[in-house]
Amino acid sequence: MKRMIGQRAAASFLALLGLVVLVFFLSRLTGDPAALYLPIDASQEMLENFREIHGLNDPLLVQFGNYVTDLLRLDFGESIRKARPAIDVVLEAFVWTLQLALITMALVTVTAVVLGSLAAFRVGGLFDRLTSLISLVGASAPDFWIAIVAIVLFSVQLGWLPTSGTGSVWHWVLPVAVLFVRPFGLILQVVRGSMISALTSAYVKTARAKGVRNRPIIFVHTLRNAMLPVITVIGDQAAAMLNGAVIVETIFGFPGVGKLMIDSILQRDFNVILASIVVTALAIFIMNLLIDMAYAVLDPRIRY
Amino acid sequence: MKPNHLLIGALLASASFGPAIAQENKNVTVVLAEETDLVEPCMATRSNIGRVVLQNISETLTELDVRDGGGGIKPRLAESWEQVDDNTWRFHLRRGVTFSDGSSFDAEDVKHSFARAMSDQISCEIARYYSGMDITPAIVDEHTIDFTAEPAQPIMPLLMSLLTIVPSETPVEFTREPIGTGPYTLAEWNPGQNIRLERRDDYWGDTPEVSGATYLFRQDPAVRAAMVETDEADIAPSVSAIEADDPELDHSYPNSETLYLRLDHAMAPLDDRRVRLAINHAIDREAFVGSLLPEGTELATAIVPPTTQGWNAELTPPAYDPEKARALLEEAAAEGVPVDREITLVGRTGNYPNVTEVMETLHFMLSDVGFNVDLQMYEVAEFENLYSKPYPENRNPQLVAAMHDNARGDAVFSMYFKYHSEGRQSGIADARVDELIAQATAATGEERAKLWSELFGYLHDDVVADALLFHMVGFARVNERLDWEPTIATNSQLQLADIAFE
Repeated sequence: MKRMIGQRAAASFLALLGLVVLVFFLSRLTGDPAALYLPIDASQEMLENFREIHGLNDPLLVQFGNYVTDLLRLDFGESIRKARPAIDVVLEAFVWTLQLALITMALVTVTAVVLGSLAAFRVGGLFDRLTSLISLVGASAPDFWIAIVAIVLFSVQLGWLPTSGTGSVWHWVLPVAVLFVRPFGLILQVVRGSMISALTSAYVKTARAKGVRNRPIIFVHTLRNAMLPVITVIGDQAAAMLNGAVIVETIFGFPGVGKLMIDSILQRDFNVILASIVVTALAIFIMNLLIDMAYAVLDPRIRY
Repeated sequence: MKPNHLLIGALLASASFGPAIAQENKNVTVVLAEETDLVEPCMATRSNIGRVVLQNISETLTELDVRDGGGGIKPRLAESWEQVDDNTWRFHLRRGVTFSDGSSFDAEDVKHSFARAMSDQISCEIARYYSGMDITPAIVDEHTIDFTAEPAQPIMPLLMSLLTIVPSETPVEFTREPIGTGPYTLAEWNPGQNIRLERRDDYWGDTPEVSGATYLFRQDPAVRAAMVETDEADIAPSVSAIEADDPELDHSYPNSETLYLRLDHAMAPLDDRRVRLAINHAIDREAFVGSLLPEGTELATAIVPPTTQGWNAELTPPAYDPEKARALLEEAAAEGVPVDREITLVGRTGNYPNVTEVMETLHFMLSDVGFNVDLQMYEVAEFENLYSKPYPENRNPQLVAAMHDNARGDAVFSMYFKYHSEGRQSGIADARVDELIAQATAATGEERAKLWSELFGYLHDDVVADALLFHMVGFARVNERLDWEPTIATNSQLQLADIAFE
């Protein structure tokens, strides 16, 4: 296991390095932060001065050298836009995204696994057809639409929930609910499919022959075996969410890392772009590692 | 108590949100489209910062009056001013004014504020209004200061409406704790979430009605509109025309933006006046108003809004006349002008609501009279490369659709950049234009207005410099408990002291 973690860490470090190099040069090729930061009628003098202050006049390779040297000291540089350390800006936002992702994925996993297992038990039954319909709608409805409709219905019409923002537990309900819909639909389908094949296997027949009841068959015997593909999908979905739920963050005014990343790309706030990429890439690496370890725990046949 | 009871208890305890802000108290909540990422006073001419900081936290020596007909300059931290000689203006400062940190306001603070704004250690946005001139402040006494400019600046009192005053102790770096003389002070700032201002007890002027303000940031216009409807916010200074469907709550206002097509006079066929005129006659401006652009949008005959000194009321927008456009093109073609050369029509994504549809319609109208037009939409950074000099080599002749914002009351902030042969976004090089700009910039009063007026006429009728399109309108949604109307200044500032309660 330790060897596996070491190998993965080395591979991820290389990938991260490649990513930093790529983003560093590509972002600098596509636009001048001075022209974006300063008003459109700024004088040549102001532009020059701005570039000088932010070290944008140095040759690109020198800029890169400085950046990597600073990075080794864990200094991600200043945000041009916000005039404070880029890493502070990113970590502040990342905490919001992490909470959003954890809460949503926990809810999704529990409900999708329970409902998916029950649906698989009587294939073609009313419950199965109903959950299939819900999951299909969930997996295909665009989230910006769901978000706006939810605000109009629950905040404007019924007045039950705040439209957006942060501050109380109620502020989390709509964003989590909107984020919930798509991964729920997807994971439910995977659980169902995986359970259907597990339920037809020989050990289930043996268990039934021994007189084991339905509930232990589903939740003890088959679920553990059916979980492997499910965990892969959960990992995928969680990774997507750690990258930031841009649409949900934008509509609900949630100060997460997805919106921050998009804004910093549009503004060419290079240090924030790079810091947010490094932070989310690290988070995704750690999550993938946890998933690999979960495989080994669930299936004793898997050994690293 | 069992854990799940605890959870329910916590949920109920936190059940208070939005609506509780209304009724009794005199706090207002303002929901803005763009996050206020800095609260630095020397950046207050940027709208997302100005709406929080300008005249609320930080004040200026003078103030542009937009309410009563517009155009006038009101005293703020300066009680009066006079011109000492051609180059020097003297400002008499208000006495008994204190900053929110308790220190008193004097000429030293004004001098430091100017030096700080112009410093090359930091990139202050307000410095752009003082570029191309050499201004030296000189303290006469504690409450009097002279500003000497080279070349002479007849609009010095107007220029002082842009200089935010900070205490002389303020370091030359961006501050996160702005200290000002304004009626409010920064009480709380949670980056990305909210900013809170509180009223000062020791403000020099009249005590405003609003006791505090919370600023929230929501990018989606539908959400901003919904927040005012549900009493979660009191003012949404910009909502889209589609959302603005409630005449009780929504107010339209000229947002000081002017939309135009900049024509590339350096390249054929756009170097031919007939071709430029054909572009102007090919566009059915009226057709956009009330369809793709909101009702109330005005047809433009200058790049500055009608509230600007020297506005030329005699100019009329070119009539929609496709036949005439075709005839002009034929005439030019007959003389060897390459009218069938491909022209790039450049637009900016997300520039204003319906920008894509507006650009596609323009593309259709121009193609309809015989132009060979290719429409290209760019995001802001790439657009900027095409809009500002140096223009790319090997380009096609370009029509760049851009918006320009000037609510400052004087055309000097626009004309050099947009029309002078050295201007960074100028598409033309015309000696008469350069001369008129120089003359108007140096003139005062009636003479200045007359010269600007002449320049507007010359550009519009003689040169046919560009295709001026629209003065845009914005919509603000305002909670019924407030007595407040947006103005042309709402794009750049939102003075809490102007807000009253019903």
